[in-house]
Amino acid sequence: MNPLEFFLTFLKASLFSTDGLGNLPSLHQDLLANGIATDTDFSRSVALGQISPGPNGLWALALGYFTYGILGVILAFIAIIIPPFIVLLLATVHRRIEHLTWVKGLMRGVSLAVVGLFIIVIISLVTSVGLEWKTVIVMIGTFGLSFSRRVNILLILGLAALGGYLLY
Amino acid sequence: MTDKQLSEPTVAIPKPHNAYATSKVNFWEILRIWLLIGVQSFGGGSATMFLIRREHITKRNWLTEDDVNEFWALCQLTPGMSIIALSILIGRKLKGWKGIVAVLTGLLFPSVIITTILAAGFNAVGSLAPAQAMLKGVIPATAGLSLAVALQFAIPLLKKGWNEKVASFSFSLLVIGACATLSGIFKFSASFLLIGSGTLAALIFPRIWWSIQQTQEQSK
Repeated sequence: MNPLEFFLTFLKASLFSTDGLGNLPSLHQDLLANGIATDTDFSRSVALGQISPGPNGLWALALGYFTYGILGVILAFIAIIIPPFIVLLLATVHRRIEHLTWVKGLMRGVSLAVVGLFIIVIISLVTSVGLEWKTVIVMIGTFGLSFSRRVNILLILGLAALGGYLLY
Repeated sequence: MTDKQLSEPTVAIPKPHNAYATSKVNFWEILRIWLLIGVQSFGGGSATMFLIRREHITKRNWLTEDDVNEFWALCQLTPGMSIIALSILIGRKLKGWKGIVAVLTGLLFPSVIITTILAAGFNAVGSLAPAQAMLKGVIPATAGLSLAVALQFAIPLLKKGWNEKVASFSFSLLVIGACATLSGIFKFSASFLLIGSGTLAALIFPRIWWSIQQTQEQSK
């Protein structure tokens, strides 16, 4: 994959998705198909995005690094920063936005599609380590802790790493 | 003066909100505040949102609660990261293009550097046996985490659908189910499904909302 293709893959994923992790399913599909990234790369990147400060969407930079080095970080950065600028366009037509119900419908549809696609990514992540009881326990534990939003994510991932160290 | 100029009203028309720049605000001050927001915002959007409100509304009179709410509503209709879109709108309101530069640099510079360093560190130790074992725990953990993220993402969407009408709720479920099936089993391209769902929803949701409005008006 040449740099331009790499950049366009990231740009496309961010342009046709919402929020920080919304671009994950599209990137997962494209980069896995090209043999550029593995499920492990995705897991490492998502975990890193949670550990480092700043928006979670920066997980894509870690993915850029693991797959394409420093150039990957730069290309991923440019690609994820462009789509949000569309908000300036929306702000200028803001006075009529109440009538732009189709835009609201469109974004709702995209968000719903992201949810559906995420289910498949999660299945792929779980099966990549092999479906055994240890995996299932760590997954359910993390899900419960992070869904409750009461426990710090750093602590959760630290526990998972410790668990991995002890179990495997 | 030409006739045309004469006929135009001389009273200044108030510019639409957020179109003006508060040029009194200092560039370096904005940068400093947003650097602090950037390094302090761990764990996703809610921490960042809290800091943005505190620094701009509570501590300084730079923005109002209404500004932020209105901006946020627009960001929900924007592709990509909502928090970046929000920063862009706030930056512009504070100091035009310079404001956007200050805000984005502050928010992203520290985290981009830290993320890159961490990724490099991960790569360096990644082949060692203990790191491999830890990673084996982290992978299912990210799966669990993604599941939590997906659910937290899905619940408000489904709630909206539930409150609207049976048609809206069932259409929402249909989109989720169809995308999962078509992507998982039939290997449809993700972009195709995202664009397809968006287009379909742009056609169907407004109709549902319109019919809800009609019934509400009839019942009045």
